[in-house]
Amino acid sequence: MSLSSALVHQIMRPIPTLKISISGVRGVIGESLTPTLLTRFAQAFGTYVGARTIVIGRDPRTSGEMVKQAVVAGLLSSGCRILDIGMCPVPTIQLLVRHYRAHGGIAITASHNPAEWNALKFIGQGGFFLNTGQARELLDIYHQGEYTRVGGAEMREVVEASGVTDLHIQTILEVLGPLPTRQKKLRVVLDACNGAGSLVGPKLLAALGAEVIPINVTPNGSFPRPAEPLAENLGDLCAAVKAQQADVGFAQDMDADRLAIVSEEGVAIGEEYTLLLATLKVLGKHPGPVVANLSTTSALQEVVSRFGCPVFLSKIGEANVTEEMQKQNAVIGGEGNGGVIYPRINFARDSLVGMALILHLLAETGQTITELVNTLPRFAMIKEKLVCPSDKIAAVLRMLRREYAAYPMDLRDGVKVSLPNGWFLVRGSNTEPIIRLTAEAEREADARAIIDSVYSRVRECLS
Amino acid sequence: MKPLKIGITGVRGIVGETFTPEVAVGFAQAFATYLDSGRILVCRDTRLSGPMVRSAVVAGLLAAGCEVIDLGICPTPSLQLAVGWLKADGGIAVTAGHNPAQWSALKFVRGDGLYLNPLQAEELLDIYHQGEFAKATWDEIQPAIQYQDPIEHHIDLLKNAFDTTAIKARRLKVAVDCCNGACSLLIPRWLAEVGCEFLAINADLNGAFPHRPEPTPETMAQLSAVVKAGHADIGFAHDADGERLGIVTELGEPLSEESTLALASRIRLEQGAGAIVTNVSTTGAIEKIAARYGGSVVRTQVGQTYIAEAMFEHNAVLGGEGSGGVTVPQIHLTHDSAAAVGIILEGLARSGERVSDVVRQLPRLFMLKHNLAVEPNRLYSVLQDFRVAIEREQPAYDLTDGIKIELPEGWIHVRASNTESMIRVIVEAEDATKARRLLDWARDRLNK
Repeated sequence: MSLSSALVHQIMRPIPTLKISISGVRGVIGESLTPTLLTRFAQAFGTYVGARTIVIGRDPRTSGEMVKQAVVAGLLSSGCRILDIGMCPVPTIQLLVRHYRAHGGIAITASHNPAEWNALKFIGQGGFFLNTGQARELLDIYHQGEYTRVGGAEMREVVEASGVTDLHIQTILEVLGPLPTRQKKLRVVLDACNGAGSLVGPKLLAALGAEVIPINVTPNGSFPRPAEPLAENLGDLCAAVKAQQADVGFAQDMDADRLAIVSEEGVAIGEEYTLLLATLKVLGKHPGPVVANLSTTSALQEVVSRFGCPVFLSKIGEANVTEEMQKQNAVIGGEGNGGVIYPRINFARDSLVGMALILHLLAETGQTITELVNTLPRFAMIKEKLVCPSDKIAAVLRMLRREYAAYPMDLRDGVKVSLPNGWFLVRGSNTEPIIRLTAEAEREADARAIIDSVYSRVRECLS
Repeated sequence: MKPLKIGITGVRGIVGETFTPEVAVGFAQAFATYLDSGRILVCRDTRLSGPMVRSAVVAGLLAAGCEVIDLGICPTPSLQLAVGWLKADGGIAVTAGHNPAQWSALKFVRGDGLYLNPLQAEELLDIYHQGEFAKATWDEIQPAIQYQDPIEHHIDLLKNAFDTTAIKARRLKVAVDCCNGACSLLIPRWLAEVGCEFLAINADLNGAFPHRPEPTPETMAQLSAVVKAGHADIGFAHDADGERLGIVTELGEPLSEESTLALASRIRLEQGAGAIVTNVSTTGAIEKIAARYGGSVVRTQVGQTYIAEAMFEHNAVLGGEGSGGVTVPQIHLTHDSAAAVGIILEGLARSGERVSDVVRQLPRLFMLKHNLAVEPNRLYSVLQDFRVAIEREQPAYDLTDGIKIELPEGWIHVRASNTESMIRVIVEAEDATKARRLLDWARDRLNK
């Protein structure tokens, strides 16, 4: 084989649509995510957890019912009792695992992936996603293929629980209380992306005492916009906030764990600001340690130090953040992608909790979103991604370690390099065959320069 | 070796051992691929493994792009009737019929409500083994399951097929044992519909079988006690999914399962001559009854699908098997214990006879059934060895299904079960001594 044909072969090989990793199993419906694979993963999980109670729930994707039936068959076969809470946000599943002292949960959702994807995310005791070690154990059981199988006489029941989102709302209200009564209610536009938060979001906002104008709250499996609540996907919400003269706009993703904010001026302020504003609210009353992941904006450090509190950075992924939060006894934590974790209510990224915190902040301070954002340090963050076969990721990271050897580095998750005028992070995604690039600097031009030079080096390395 | 039977009657196995969710998912996908997706009905009996197997089947069907209508718990014949009613393309019944509680199985029903015939079943198996199934993409997959209750429709058809006025007028008192199976939902309603006073036992859906779900004299002891204590006119025992029927007379005498078809044949032929279809294992009493009433008998291989096809071909007035399965063509070409109840109640109502009177007039033959457990991988070699062993002594034998030998004092039938890993030996003679001698003769030649 000549060098050139070897290259062609490398480039032509289709990138797999199945991603089995420590964050669960994701795949494309009608291609790789088959009912056999799903039922085997459910059996592996049932075997791993033991014949105990498992909470399951799903987002509104069209494939949700099929995936659920495959999961139910697998869990029953391994002797589990199932609490099926139907269509609901992932954080509701996590809250219920903890509330009912269940032994685990399976969330059927591919969160921000497009409509053709679906996935299983595995939740352990306490409502935490399986950590790396636990996930590896589960994968070993899956691959060994020897699952616990019980006969009919030991098989347990599927309990269908309804109204569980009310419990979620109630928990939020118990901890944070309703909004203080004002002459004029806060006007909120909610864009639930027709996702799992479609039904519960408006109820929560009304229960808090806000006036709600919902858009995209038909959970029928259609995606009115790309599911990730990135600024560029929120055009409709921005327009609605302006047209409705609302105080704030909230955007959720498909599984309602992430939250993005649109200001009263109709500007998407960037999902990095969700955690910043929520932190502002929480530390005001309960100062304490804060945990975020490595790719979170440096602005967090500045905000938290105003309260004299420490920030700890963890590897990326909810399980890593919550683990570090437990270790540091953090009062709040989360990720820069709009995931807010407020352990007094739910030890999980929870957009419902995020909305409640932000509305309380608005009510307490009497300031607008724009005014609040203006008090925060401004950094320019740029995110890029490149399609990258998994076997190339190591080579890319090696190249970066070599090229930037002169600068301080954090190698816990990919390569994070601190440069004199900013920082960048390059890592392989846990969920898609892509490599993610993040750069941040105080000045937009510096951030652009950093990302451009890293991007071109990575591309060169891939070609 | 653990039993998993993948054959022309579907796929059967023990849950927790060989009958895994993957097997159920794979067969559902294969069936959907075979039917080119479309609308598929799903039902189950009351077995405790039912919800697991049903979920696996539904997942496989949805993944292959089917529209799924879930009938919940119901007799398999109710599903077979619902296929036409709901304009479905097929159905899957999750039930191991008369097998013990730890078994499960999938039975595959075509768009005309009948089981796949052997050629179709082989095609299905080929698709299953090839493992390349239809896959619906996210915008083709059905996002939800529909639900329907097929019992009402089944009862409507039964009402139209039988003389309910006559049955109501006789005001029969009926004891019934539903074996805590799917018939619990159908038979009590059907008996109420025809004005019978009934005493129902084991009519819970709790999935705990009070005895083996196979109506034989051994499993009908409890029913017999109820008939006697309650002074019932007749007792009916059902299997788990509404195919087989056993009968207890008003004297509390449990009849052999062979008698159900004999009784129904006598009632049907009395109303007019015609062809009766049964398998080679069933009692020779059927020929004697047919001779008395001017009917004829067609013998087929063992299995409902063969009975149905022969009934269609010969325009038969009745069909059935010695297991207690009776097919009444006015309703559909499949074993249906509710239809068998209908034909017997109608016969008793019209003639005014007691069931023991009718039984007394039936030809008296003595049958012995013996099951020989054989490892699944040796079933056919054991049969082959038997054939070699008898060949020199008995050169004339019938190979319609297994090996059937006609001797002056009776007949012997040796075949592999379609549903369990065993060889069935059935002999019939005029009395017990002769039958015992025939069985010993066969066992001597099998046990080598």
